[in-house]
Amino acid sequence: MNDRVAVMGVGNTPFKARHIDKTFPRLAYESVKAALEDAGATKEDIGSTVYAIYNDFFEHCAMPDLHIHYQLGLARKPGSRITCGGATGGYAVRAAVAEVASGMHDVVMVVGVEKVGDVANVFDMVKSITYAADPFFEASLGASPAGSYGGAILWHMENYGTTEEDMARVVVKNKGNARNNPDAQSPMEVTVEDVLGSPLIIYPLKILDHCLNSEGAATIILASEKAVGRFSSDPVWITGVGASTESGRQAERDDAGKSLFPAVRASALEAYEMAGVADPGSAIQVAEVYDSFSGVEICLYEEFGLCGWGEGVQFLTDGRADMGGSNPVNPSGGLIGGEHAIGATGVYQVVEIVRQIRGEAGARQVPHVTRGLAQSMGGARGAYSVSIVVEG
Amino acid sequence: MADDRDPRFVPIKVQDGFAVIPDRWKVDFRVSAGELSRFYIELKENARLMGTRCPNCGSVYCWPRSWCKDCYVDCEWVEMSGKGKLTLCSRVEISLSDIQKEVPFFQGGVHLDGARYPVVVMLRPVEFEDLHVGMPVHAEFLPSEERTGRIRDFYFIPDE
Repeated sequence: MNDRVAVMGVGNTPFKARHIDKTFPRLAYESVKAALEDAGATKEDIGSTVYAIYNDFFEHCAMPDLHIHYQLGLARKPGSRITCGGATGGYAVRAAVAEVASGMHDVVMVVGVEKVGDVANVFDMVKSITYAADPFFEASLGASPAGSYGGAILWHMENYGTTEEDMARVVVKNKGNARNNPDAQSPMEVTVEDVLGSPLIIYPLKILDHCLNSEGAATIILASEKAVGRFSSDPVWITGVGASTESGRQAERDDAGKSLFPAVRASALEAYEMAGVADPGSAIQVAEVYDSFSGVEICLYEEFGLCGWGEGVQFLTDGRADMGGSNPVNPSGGLIGGEHAIGATGVYQVVEIVRQIRGEAGARQVPHVTRGLAQSMGGARGAYSVSIVVEG
Repeated sequence: MADDRDPRFVPIKVQDGFAVIPDRWKVDFRVSAGELSRFYIELKENARLMGTRCPNCGSVYCWPRSWCKDCYVDCEWVEMSGKGKLTLCSRVEISLSDIQKEVPFFQGGVHLDGARYPVVVMLRPVEFEDLHVGMPVHAEFLPSEERTGRIRDFYFIPDE
């Protein structure tokens, strides 16, 4: 990066299955107002805005960003929208980092919002996601997102002996962590047995193995190093950003060795290189990662190099990903316990890491954090991925 | 009982003092299959599974692509044997799709003989437990009167 990029303000709404009392522009506004107050800034400080809004159906609008931007009083200033499936938030942060690092703007805001529950029912909600499938061939199968991730999980089970019980432990951890996050949608004390007993959707994934569907918004305000002094908050730095892609078809992958999510691996390695992270197991003190399904989180420990290939279950059962472990993963509750307001997710992950570094994470505070990782992915089996290293 | 009225003309609902506005998007398409047309026509009319081959590097693509993403040259049509090996399988217990409503159904990855990449297809085992990654499978086509030219026109079953 040409210039260093700081996060000066963070804000979010609570995440819920339904915010019947608020429209999507209002959710965005509330997170923006919170982030501006956090930074000690006003809307006049914002040079450019990048919106992270995944799916037109959720906002029942094909240009939802426009209808937020004007109402934020930001007309005549640049505003654009990123949509990259579950990696929408991560890619939006990356676009904003580029605007700052290039010297184009000194202060850039990223606003992630989604109102998933405005789709009338879960069937239409999932249908709107399946419209992301390859339109000429695979879309006509009606395959769901769970199927694309399920294949990777089955491979992990067959090759490393990972069990449904192992995966259920991720749910116990993440819904448990969510109990310490007042903004989380699904704080729960669940047992492995509860998870195993919940209804099967696509073998081996059960309802409690699934991420949430959420409504809510998250905002971060980025600034160039020379603009940091305009704000009242202490800067937290984005030191590494990696982004990658894969085929949008579920089974189509070039050989990637043992990597089940090659785009994730590539994005992590790029971010590590930019940030100078040589040994992720010791350098990454906390991580907010894309636990779209419980078993995916186990795969991600390996993709991020927090442990070796095939050691993800051991990493989990040793408690290394737990609060109090060597590398707590998803202290916010992640997508399973915290929220998955899709476009907002990748932004909220950065919000959480910034709070951890500032020591503002309350009951879920990981001690002495100076560096963390935020990672989001989307499309069939992680076809988009963004990894972001954040440092104090 | 389902309300089949167009939601756009249904009165708003009031829930906990807040208005909820029923709405609907409905869009029909007429998608140009263009350079990929032969795949659909051969499938529907002749129950043939077509792929393409790059004349430069020899990669065989099915699903077909009209140009090779590595060589940037146009590919030529080839007929696939319909035989391959199972690479993934999943059993769908709750369908969230309005295309496949009957459950359980089975989908999986099949690496067609000669093809560069696996494809995701419908599977029809007798029992899910009969499916194993790596096993040889082959395509069976629906009878002519049931084929619509979509990839649902065929499914894979284990070889005898």
